[in-house]
Order: sequence, then C-alpha cells, then structure tokens
Amino acid sequence: MHKTSPTPVHSRRREWLTFLLITAVFFPLLSVMAVGGYGFIVWMLQIVFGPPGHGA
Amino acid sequence: MLTLFKKIWNTLKRPSVHISLGVLTLGGFVAGVIFWGGFNTALEVTNTEKFCIGCHEMQNNVYQELQETIHWSNRSGVRATCPDCHVPHNWTDKIARKMQASKEVWGKVFGTIDTREKFLEKRLELAQHEWSRFSANGSLECRNCHDYNSMNWDVMSDKARRFMKPAAERNQSCIDCHKGIAHHLPEQMTFKDPALDQLEQRAQGLSPDEGSNYYTVKAVTLYLDPELTQEAGELEAASPVKLLEENGDSVKLLVPAWRKTRGFGRVLYEDFGMNITSLVLEKEVAQNEELVQLVSEARVDEMTGLPWEQVEVALWTQSGALLPEAEDLWGYARDTYRSACSVCHSQPAEAHFDANTWPGMFAGMVGFTNMDADTQALVLKYLQKHSSDYSDGAH
Repeated sequence: MHKTSPTPVHSRRREWLTFLLITAVFFPLLSVMAVGGYGFIVWMLQIVFGPPGHGA
Repeated sequence: MLTLFKKIWNTLKRPSVHISLGVLTLGGFVAGVIFWGGFNTALEVTNTEKFCIGCHEMQNNVYQELQETIHWSNRSGVRATCPDCHVPHNWTDKIARKMQASKEVWGKVFGTIDTREKFLEKRLELAQHEWSRFSANGSLECRNCHDYNSMNWDVMSDKARRFMKPAAERNQSCIDCHKGIAHHLPEQMTFKDPALDQLEQRAQGLSPDEGSNYYTVKAVTLYLDPELTQEAGELEAASPVKLLEENGDSVKLLVPAWRKTRGFGRVLYEDFGMNITSLVLEKEVAQNEELVQLVSEARVDEMTGLPWEQVEVALWTQSGALLPEAEDLWGYARDTYRSACSVCHSQPAEAHFDANTWPGMFAGMVGFTNMDADTQALVLKYLQKHSSDYSDGAH
C-alpha cells in the first residue's frame, strides 16, 4: 500500500468481524426464521382451509 | 430492544470501508451455498426413519406395527419408510409439515403419549388427522409409488380387480378403503357419529309415559330387578318395546318377540321366521317360563321347517334410552348405509334382499367400513326391517 490507511487497524478488524457475523450468523438465522415462518403460515392456512388438496 | 434493532440497522446500511465489493459478494455467495446445502442436509436428516424412531413413542408403537405389514417386507424388496407416507414431498407442504412437528416436539417434552396406554387412547385422533390429510390430497403419498395407470389388471386377482377397476375409473383416494394397512386400526373405532349422539341425547331428555310404545335408541342391558344388579340380557337398538313401569332411574320394558323352539332359546327375534335379533338372554332367564311368557303356540316356518313361538319378556333397564318413533333412527341408519357403502361400490337397494339374507351379506362387507359396533347393529337392523320382506312391490 502506498497510502497509509486513514483508519486504524482496530476498525479494519471490526469490519471483518461484522462481516463474518452477518454472513455466518445473522442471515442464516434470518433465513431459517423466514422459511420456518413461511411453513408456520402455511400450517395456519391449512387449519383454516383444510389440508392441501390434489396436485400442486 | 429498539436500540438493538437500530444498531443492527445502522451497521447493515453503512457501506464497507475496508472490504472490497468483490470480497463481500464472494463471501455472501459462498456462505449462501454452504447455508443452503446445510439446510437441505438438515432437512433430509429429519426425513429419515432413523430420526423418526429416535423417539420411543414412534419406535415402540407405530414402528413395531409397520414391521408386520407388506410395507415393511415383501417379494419385490421395496419398502416404505416413515417419511415416504407421512411427509409431503412437495416443498411447501413439506415445510408446513416440519413446522407442524413443533407440536410433536411439544408432545415429546410433556410426555403426551409416553406410554402405550396413552398412545392407544390417542390413536384414533392421530389416525383421523392422517386420514383427513390423505382424503384431501387424494392419497398423494401412496400414489408416489402406486399408480392406477401402472396397474396390470391381468395379473391382479379377480377379487382385487373387482374393487380396483371401478376405483381407478373414479380416481378414488386409496385411503377410502385401505385404512389400517401399515399400522393397527384404532381399537375402539368409536368416533360416534354426532347424529347418533344427538338422538341419544334426545332420548336422555325425554320423559316417557307408562303404557306407551317406544323404540330403544341404543343397545341396553336388561336386568331382573329395578336396582339393576342382576343381569338378564342385552336388548338391541331400534327394538320396539312397551313401557310398563317407572322406578327412579329404572324402567320396566315389555319386549314382544319370537323365538325358535330349539336349543336354550336365548336369542329372541323381532318377527316370525325372520332372523332379526331383538334380544339375547342369559341362559337361566331364557329357560325361566315366568320371565319369558308364551303368547301363542309354536308354528312351523315353511322355509326352514323350524317351529317358532311368540313370547313376551318384561325386564328392567336404565331409563333414558327410549324414543317414541323409529323414523329418526332409520334415517340415521339409512344415511350411514348409503355413505359408508357407496365409498367402494353402489350399494344395493334395501329391498334387494330379504331379511334373512342381509346378515350374511352385511357381515361380509362391514369390515371394509369404519362403523362402530352400535352403528353396525343399527344399520343391519335397518336393512332387515326395510328388506323385501317388509316392503311392497320389491322383488
């Protein structure tokens, strides 16, 4: 690097940590919750409208 | 909580300073691939038999029963595992089913069916859930393997073909007929029809008059004494009786009947020469001439050559089982007959057979239905009392 970084090493590490946290924990958790929530909603709809019928 | 959300949101919306767009995208891409693979692997793990029988509730009950059936071992060596039948294969329905399993986790944690007894008690309810699911989707999970179009009628046995071909024409749901093929049927099978329940409640609320004629709404036990301690016999549902006397919660009924003058005469019938069971007496009671009073001398039934005599029996029973007319009972029996039998074939007209042919006919078929014992008796009596012997103009 020919230019010295304007931010300290501390904030660079912090950004990497945030990035890992977001990709490894935050979004996977959100995805599982979304899929689970979707399944849950379908289940509730099945309770109201009866079990799924013929075909897709 | 709100500040936490704000902090997370602020972190997410700020552009990165040190990490390049390429690295961020690559990181997200790789993580996405790993996540989706992992998610599906985990989903598949919960879709294995080993996972299902991880709970002793499954292992000790339904799994053992499955091992006695053709879905466990057969000549072609193809077998069905738990999820093949019980987890929908379509993704949305599968996810919904997996969420439903949260209820099963709840049941596991709180021991809803942690003993055989509890399981047996719940079996009917659990079975009904599966049956209604199969009914709604036309037995889709069965048909992932069994297909009407792939059935070779020539190699099918005559008996099977007789039922399967019409079923195929109507594209009938497998579960309509094939209940209890992979696990035992619920023992009691007494999901009492609400219509019958209603009739029984009406009888319960009715205050009958002494000296009037009634019909029994259900099978009742008869006793020698008004305290109802000494059992004398069993009176069938929809039997015509006369109320003689009331005593607290007990009523004395006069039952007119016929019997064959052979054997102990324990079985009493409703009409001369007709095998329509009305009541079954204890041996000592049947032989007691004071209890079973002769009304008229025996005459011979030409068809069988057996002599029949007319008798009257007066015995006590619990009050609250009498209805003034039989029409509602027959209505219930008629509806049940039509709906239960038409599932597999068009049912014959009631007057197509005579009263003595119906019992054999009925006994051969009733095993395919899920009528409880009370309903079976009632429907059979309905068929006999509306058979060719009792209707005009039929053959």
